[in-house]
Amino acid sequence: MSITDQLLEAVLLYGLPVLFGVILIASVGVPFPISLTLVAAGSFVKQGEMKLVPVIIAASIAAILGDQIGYGLSRWGGRSLVDRITRRLGGAAKIKRAEAVSKKWGGTGIFFSRWLVTALGPWLNFTSGMAHYPWRRFIVWGAPGQVLWVVLYVMLGYIFSDRVQYIAEILGNLAWAILALTAAIILGWKLIRYYRLSSSVSA
Amino acid sequence: MRRPYGKAKGHIFRDHQSRTSVEMDPQALMMKKPTWRQSVVAVAFLLSLSLAIFFVVRAVRPLIYWHYHQDEPIRGWMTMGYVAHSYHVPPHVLHQALGLPDKPPDKRPLREIAKAQNRSLDEIRTVLLEAIVQARRSNPPSPSPPTNPGASP
Repeated sequence: MSITDQLLEAVLLYGLPVLFGVILIASVGVPFPISLTLVAAGSFVKQGEMKLVPVIIAASIAAILGDQIGYGLSRWGGRSLVDRITRRLGGAAKIKRAEAVSKKWGGTGIFFSRWLVTALGPWLNFTSGMAHYPWRRFIVWGAPGQVLWVVLYVMLGYIFSDRVQYIAEILGNLAWAILALTAAIILGWKLIRYYRLSSSVSA
Repeated sequence: MRRPYGKAKGHIFRDHQSRTSVEMDPQALMMKKPTWRQSVVAVAFLLSLSLAIFFVVRAVRPLIYWHYHQDEPIRGWMTMGYVAHSYHVPPHVLHQALGLPDKPPDKRPLREIAKAQNRSLDEIRTVLLEAIVQARRSNPPSPSPPTNPGASP
């Protein structure tokens, strides 16, 4: 029996508390098949086995709370570890640069990694905490993104309630495609900058 | 954490560059020979681009076959309500097939039902599929024919 089957059975049998727990744990970074769970929840709503508003509220709160746990762990646990390592081995300048990048792009990155490039979500929680990205801004950018993610996936499950597995499969592939495309855009931008730099030097 | 490693690499990199720049015209080097770092970025770019195309194709493919592959494989987490909903048959047909009262509707996942009836999930799946085929024969609902959806991966 796969973990997906177990998760969905548990959601059906025990309802919201299980949904809440699963999303909370997944938002911290445990790779659960969370898209299928949310889409299936949407389908269960359509069939009258769950209620729409409680599902969206519980899932959103769980996702936002999970983010804060990931952020908090790295900010108050991970940061001191990094400081100790950089004191001994150096590299503080690099960390500073990472912080600057995080401060500049952090908000947009946090927002889009909640619902569009979801594979990066837990990872960005940790880097934001590590870089001491302001907590209030982390919540301001993160929470709407998480609510959007929950509403989007639950509604897709609600609309295509008779083909939950297909929708989840398509969403899973799309998520990877978007992740790869994001990487390609960043790398392509770097390449263009290299090219411009070298042609301006030689000119 | 990665600092000493990066530092060592940086030294090698710089040594390599200074040696080549002695041998070659620095301007020509800038123009023609991409640095080690540039080649890595270029390879990573191509790799991520091909990955993106691969996953887009995988995501779009089920959309093309949307109408032909309507029937989802029956899984243990599904309820009879979901199976009936997904296969577009009345729920009472499935309840009857498993010898269960349809009011109130049985909301247990199929695996729970299988456990309670001391049957394997495969057995339950076969019974349900037979009932679905029967129901569709007597009351053809949708353009999609009863294919072989039980063949789950």
